[in-house]
Amino acid sequence: MIAFQDPLGQLPPQASTFAGDVDTLFYFLVWVSLASFGLILALLVYSAIAHRRKTPDQPALSNVTHNTTLEVVWTLIPTVVVMFAFAWGLKGNLDQQVAPADALQYRVEAFKWGWNFYHPGATTASEHLYVPVNKPVKFTMTSRDVLHSFFVPAMRAKRDVVPGVKQIVWFQPTVENRAELDAQGQPRTDEFGNLIGGFDLFCSEYCGDGHSVMHRKVYVVSQEEFDEKPWDLLPEDPVGRGEFYYKLNCVACHSVNGSRLVGPSFLGLVGREGRHTDGNAYTADEAYIRESIRKPMAKVVEGYAPVMPEFTEAQLSEEAVGDILEWLKTLK
Amino acid sequence: MTTHVPAAETAPETGSRKEPSYLDVTKGFWSWAGTLDHKRIGLMYLIGVTAAFLCGGILALLIRLHLWTPTGAIFESNAVYNQVFTLHGVFMVFIFIIPAIPASIANFVLPLMLGAPDVALPRLNLASFYLWLTGTIMAIYSIMSGAVDTGWTFYTPYSLQTQQAVVSMGLAIFTLGFSSIFTGLNFIVTIHKMRARGQTWFKLPLFCWAIYATSVLQVLATPVLGITVLLLAFEHLYHIGIFDPAHGGDPVLFQHFFWFYSHPAVYIMILPAMGVISEVVTVHSRKPLFGYKLLAFSSISIAVISFLVWGHHMFTSGESEFVMLAFSFLTMLVAIPTAIKEFSWVATIWGGSVALTAPMLYAIAFLIIFAIGGLTGVFLGTLSVDIHLHDTYFVVAHFHAVMMGSTALAFFAGVHHWWPKMFGRMYNETLAKISAVLILVGFNVTFLPQFAMGSQGMPRRYATYIPEWQIYHQWSTVGAVILGIGFALMLGYLIHSLFAGRKAAANEWGGVTLDWESPTPPNLYNFDDEPVVTGELYDYGQGAKH
Repeated sequence: MIAFQDPLGQLPPQASTFAGDVDTLFYFLVWVSLASFGLILALLVYSAIAHRRKTPDQPALSNVTHNTTLEVVWTLIPTVVVMFAFAWGLKGNLDQQVAPADALQYRVEAFKWGWNFYHPGATTASEHLYVPVNKPVKFTMTSRDVLHSFFVPAMRAKRDVVPGVKQIVWFQPTVENRAELDAQGQPRTDEFGNLIGGFDLFCSEYCGDGHSVMHRKVYVVSQEEFDEKPWDLLPEDPVGRGEFYYKLNCVACHSVNGSRLVGPSFLGLVGREGRHTDGNAYTADEAYIRESIRKPMAKVVEGYAPVMPEFTEAQLSEEAVGDILEWLKTLK
Repeated sequence: MTTHVPAAETAPETGSRKEPSYLDVTKGFWSWAGTLDHKRIGLMYLIGVTAAFLCGGILALLIRLHLWTPTGAIFESNAVYNQVFTLHGVFMVFIFIIPAIPASIANFVLPLMLGAPDVALPRLNLASFYLWLTGTIMAIYSIMSGAVDTGWTFYTPYSLQTQQAVVSMGLAIFTLGFSSIFTGLNFIVTIHKMRARGQTWFKLPLFCWAIYATSVLQVLATPVLGITVLLLAFEHLYHIGIFDPAHGGDPVLFQHFFWFYSHPAVYIMILPAMGVISEVVTVHSRKPLFGYKLLAFSSISIAVISFLVWGHHMFTSGESEFVMLAFSFLTMLVAIPTAIKEFSWVATIWGGSVALTAPMLYAIAFLIIFAIGGLTGVFLGTLSVDIHLHDTYFVVAHFHAVMMGSTALAFFAGVHHWWPKMFGRMYNETLAKISAVLILVGFNVTFLPQFAMGSQGMPRRYATYIPEWQIYHQWSTVGAVILGIGFALMLGYLIHSLFAGRKAAANEWGGVTLDWESPTPPNLYNFDDEPVVTGELYDYGQGAKH
């Protein structure tokens, strides 16, 4: 078997069982493309120079309009190449489509704009995914609102999340990759607030204003670490839990530093006074904030679009809303 | 280096023409606005689609400038970015590129190539232009009344939930669709009924074959788009439950309907471009087209297969394995006639008397970028690889290579090729060559980094991105600025030539098809005497056996 080297160095790290096969096929196509592109370019450039018109009435060197052998050859070679790629891609895709029966089962809910990941046996959702290395993991995905798409480049795995249907995607991670922690044990971030470490998970089907912030992490850990349920991060204190629920559900649209996103900032929200789109004044007390979570369309703050989805009790319990309120009070 | 017959010296005296040219025969606003002359309608379309290209191009530059930094450099919110990329897509796809070659260049050139005095249905032709204008005005109204932020694909259920003016934009596209159907219908009838005496089907220039294949697609596929946007409007207004899962509908059904049109639409864009390239390559190589019949049949087979590949836009949507198998296989089949065309053009240039004129440079730029677009298409047709590349910048770069780098470049190759015939004046060729090179370089600087970051997983339609990809985005933006300079230069010297360009020769490039036998610029009814085809097609004096 020819080893197709990485000619341009452009694919992400290979972190799943089928990544290697996808990449080999990709590099095969890259080499075939470079060869045929090089050939075309060379012929064009040579011809443009060697056969250029030097005198105004110079006739062509030849008036040949046919060469059956040549035409058959340049029909057959592309046919063989694309049929080969087709068959190889089909075989690789069968692996991508069919999850092993013993795969660990996850539930995923996508919404505008975020992901709720339910780890095996978990009742609370998590912000990021934790998967054990060398074990197949399978995700059954639903959407609360519009199309989204679950995409982990390092795993070469992608599947649209379609409202009204259960969609399935799976992979078997082969490389461990954890969050980088700072001296206090907190995850490190870059200057833009992106977490460092872990594999990137993106939404790849356009879903509106928060499309590009549905960026999460897939942490691949050892079986021992996985058995300790690293995803179970729900803090003990109400304020900490409030912040946890915020990161899970609200972070795409509401900032905590006063900057304007899709919705109003949470900084100094409790007790804030303002106007609604219908002109009525409001004061953001507890009852108002509860209503804004359960029935966001009832009253919309002036200057903002009426786009917030409703959060039902199934998605955010009364207790969780209470925790969020406790946490909001600390944002001054 | 490059030489062609210095036109001014060999040009016949303008006083010697029997009739005034179509530009001089009547004057005034209504002589244009109410004209039935295919050449004037073609020119009105040319001005219209160029203006649309300018708008879409400025939006593209704004997109690229915004992506200079990971958090977005210019728009105040992601919502504005989403509106801008949607408008870029709608302008470029529906208002510029679908009508670009058929309605402007083919409108002007096709009857000339057939030796006909006009198209078969001149009133329908004018109606098509006014439908296009109406659709464009409706699209601009939709923008004014609340910018659409759905992307040019209008995927449900997002397009049903967004507050923006989806209904009026949908009706705009419905109207533009009819404009396209009228043009296609007209050309089919014209090619069947209006050919010169002696001009059999296999003496039709390849541009006519390409336009014929395009017209069939326009007439057969566009109604599906019309139905789809009407259903979308009804769903939006009355919640009838076809596409909206909240009312029992299926959002993926919309994708099937949409791509059943919009995939053939890709070939509505590229087939006429292939026709233009065939003409430019043969004339400027002074050599008959290599594999004429194979080129003609490959146009038809591409048109037929293109109806059967739409499902490759939905490989990640949960199609069954069997459906994916079928669509992947059929998609691969399209690659074969496409490769044949590329090789045939290169073989035509090979051993020719190659003049590196401005149209030829645009055509060579097309051949280079079309090869990139075609080859990267095979990656996306390959199932397991597509799963990784789907909805990333790799796709963005691929379809820009086909639409912008190929169709738009072929459009400009055609504009430069027939410009002397259209206006009787020549542009500054040195500037034209500089602009062709700038555009070729600019294109690759813009889109090669996009192939790279797409392979790494950068999803499309992102207003913000992770900083690892910043360097690629910045190169891409630099390329877009080079492209912008190239196009601005082109606009400048083309407009300048209308007023100060030297007089073009009757047959500026030495073409041998009927379009070059008409006076320059043509008469109102094109020819002094009714043309008759006797010799071989593309015979540059050395014979040509097809």
